[in-house]
Amino acid sequence: MLFFSRWKTIFILGLVALGIMFAAPNAIKPDTRADLPSFMQKTINLGLDLQGGAHMLLEVDLSSVLQQALVNERTGILTEFRDAGLRADNVRITNGVVVGKMRRAEDQAAALDVIRQLSVPVDPTQIGSPRTTIVNAVGNDGFSVEITEAQIEFIRKRTIDQSIEVLRDRIDPSGTTEMTLVREGDDRILLQVPGAKNIDEIKEAINKTANLAFHLVHGDSNNERALRQAMESYNPENGEARLASIGTRYFPNEDGAGGLIVEESTRITGACLENSSPGVDPDQGNPIVNFKFNFRCSRLFGEMTARNIGRPFAVVLDGEIITAPNIRSAITGGRGYIEGSFTPESASALSRLLNAGALPAKLLIVEERTVSAELGEASIRAGQVASIIGLIGVALFMWLSYGIRFGTIAVLALATNIILIAAALTILGATLTLPGIAGIILTIGMAVDANVLIFERIREETYNGRPPVNAIETGYRLSLAPILDANITTLIAAITLYFVGSGPVRGFAVTLAIGIITSVFTAVVFARLLTATWLRGTRPKTLPI
Amino acid sequence: MRDISLVKILPVQPRVPFVKLRIVAAVLSAIAVIFSLFLFVTEGLNYGIDFSGGVVTVVDFGEAPPEGVQDFVQSRIDDGAIVQNISQPAGSLIDHDYLRIGLPLQVEEVDASENANADEENRQAQTDAQQVAQQALIAALEAEYGEVRIDATETVSGKVSGELRRKGLLAVVLALGFVLAYIWFRFEWQFGAGAVVALLHDVILTLGVFELFQIEFNLAIIAAILTIVGYSLNDTVIVYDRIRENLRKFKKMPLIEVINISINDTLSRTILTSVTTLLALLALYILGGPGLRGFSFAMIWGVIVGTYSSIFVASPMLLLLNLKRGSRIDAPKDGAAQTA
Repeated sequence: MLFFSRWKTIFILGLVALGIMFAAPNAIKPDTRADLPSFMQKTINLGLDLQGGAHMLLEVDLSSVLQQALVNERTGILTEFRDAGLRADNVRITNGVVVGKMRRAEDQAAALDVIRQLSVPVDPTQIGSPRTTIVNAVGNDGFSVEITEAQIEFIRKRTIDQSIEVLRDRIDPSGTTEMTLVREGDDRILLQVPGAKNIDEIKEAINKTANLAFHLVHGDSNNERALRQAMESYNPENGEARLASIGTRYFPNEDGAGGLIVEESTRITGACLENSSPGVDPDQGNPIVNFKFNFRCSRLFGEMTARNIGRPFAVVLDGEIITAPNIRSAITGGRGYIEGSFTPESASALSRLLNAGALPAKLLIVEERTVSAELGEASIRAGQVASIIGLIGVALFMWLSYGIRFGTIAVLALATNIILIAAALTILGATLTLPGIAGIILTIGMAVDANVLIFERIREETYNGRPPVNAIETGYRLSLAPILDANITTLIAAITLYFVGSGPVRGFAVTLAIGIITSVFTAVVFARLLTATWLRGTRPKTLPI
Repeated sequence: MRDISLVKILPVQPRVPFVKLRIVAAVLSAIAVIFSLFLFVTEGLNYGIDFSGGVVTVVDFGEAPPEGVQDFVQSRIDDGAIVQNISQPAGSLIDHDYLRIGLPLQVEEVDASENANADEENRQAQTDAQQVAQQALIAALEAEYGEVRIDATETVSGKVSGELRRKGLLAVVLALGFVLAYIWFRFEWQFGAGAVVALLHDVILTLGVFELFQIEFNLAIIAAILTIVGYSLNDTVIVYDRIRENLRKFKKMPLIEVINISINDTLSRTILTSVTTLLALLALYILGGPGLRGFSFAMIWGVIVGTYSSIFVASPMLLLLNLKRGSRIDAPKDGAAQTA
């Protein structure tokens, strides 16, 4: 147990030297560090609670997206029926299912055929991919269409991916910020922005979906009764209202009052925009938002305006009508502007949002934590002071308890342990959080346990009459099993914490787990090497323990 | 150079009759556990917003929070605001306190008939309203006291706090389960059962202290509890290991004697390790700043309870569970090779 082959010695010392090499850059000032070779540039990642910044957990409101998918399904069915000359009564959406009845029972088979044509594979590139919808016959004249689980999963993934892309464009258009934007769990997005000073702007970017659409105004808007009924029955939660005509929709005005009934279906949406910019109305000097459509939509818009000269159309943003001008002539160039009650600031904010594109769904902030850089720095400083004082306290105690020789061995092992933890954190790219610092300090206290176990065993064996070398040998040998047992159980707790815990607590689990592994190495392997070297050098007759 | 090694003061083979004290210890532990459970029902835990949901704002006035600011905040917020001064960690360049304003989610009693979805929407609406209230409060503070710096904000919605609570409980239960499995694998089942009883004892007493002093119970405390589980187990395993070894060594000695000798054999180690761990934790408690104070407090208490439970709960449990001799323990298997 006390014999180390030359290779083994070199290996152990080499490992410690590597640890020092990777840990060292953390202790060096940044400008001095720049002179070091490239593999020594890496330092420990600091968590947001230490460097300051914003952490937000956003939940994607999928229900509205799924509802929209059902509406599209229904529209598709109605269009196909019209083309096929089939007549259906009352095709509606109830409880996430599109249901309908054919006017004539003998049309059912043909209708089901038509609807089944609409059910396509979720992923066309994959053979045997599940279909988007399940179509069933209801009674002898009806049908029901349900969106499949696979399609819902596809929509979920697409919605989250799009949301992440749009958010990235909105928050960090230049791509210079070191922010994290990733999917988390089923329907959430984790957003982390270090050193965030403009938290209000970020929140603004999250809260606006910037869903823009151009709808033709329906004739019902001039029917006072229909409009009043729509206004009174309007439910702001889901945007539904009792309407007089099928295929129409009611939107309130920007200020929440009044509003118009418009034709529900439109192909001119925010996706049509090529770009937009804030500007000033040449006639009145009011702030406006200029926009330019892409080629396809320029044509669509041109056709729509040409066919409807004299009629008003409504510009709807996030479910509210911004403006509803009359079409004076066909707009064919694809350029135009929106005028509403803008201030110069809100006009430029809107055009920025429109340029980044619409969020496919509403995002809810379900968790938010921000820490100022100053508080982060105070935490780091406090952690440093506590670590150093803790380290000194434990070192002094070990020296007092075990004297200069064994005490020094324990303290060297402890110092090496701290260095190895820092090195491991650096190499693994793990994030150090405030609880992580607590984990390191705790390790300082607990790491000497293995040394204490060994030394106590040596003391016992000496007391039992064994000569020094034999006592040390036996001490190390008999302590191994309890040390491993004790540390493996703590490691189990740390690993559980890592997998079940969240956020900064994970940082604690990481440092604790690393600390356990390195402490076993330093106490059982490194300290043993030191002890063996000391024994060979002095060959003591009695042990100072 | 003359060596001082104070460890020589500790006898190598003390003979403290720990096991004889087991009845006294059992009564003491039972009272403490019952009292903790009683407090859990009557007082409950003081959940931080990680677990209750709500918003927290930490405000730096550039000096000590002005007189009367607490009343000012209370008057601005309808009900339930918790306003406190938090002191800075030692070594910090800032010498004044911060103001911490906590606004927990109000638990609204919903009719049992109401569906969970509406409840959730309701909670999310409340969270949104709280964020608005927070903004208004910051604006009001700035209007009243001039420029203030917002040092930290936290918002946890009802949905997330519920998840965090479930996850925290799951973490503790899973950790206990895995540990039981490991000890069972390494020792006899009685050891596993004894260790888990001791751990439950530690966890309940730790919760008890948080109930008694109404210290904020947040995510970091879950981490502390799991670390206490790890630490206490560490202690227990060391004693158990020695019991196993001594059972092989002294085949004729009664179990009660063997247990007592084993506790004494490892006593000096138990004391030394507790002291070093407590030293490090004290440094953390005093110097680590307000963010870690609850955590280090829990740990300090946990180390004390964990050390006590290894000696007075885990070991006597083996007597109670009637550990059979001569089965796996005596057979020279796995660990036995090292004792031979």
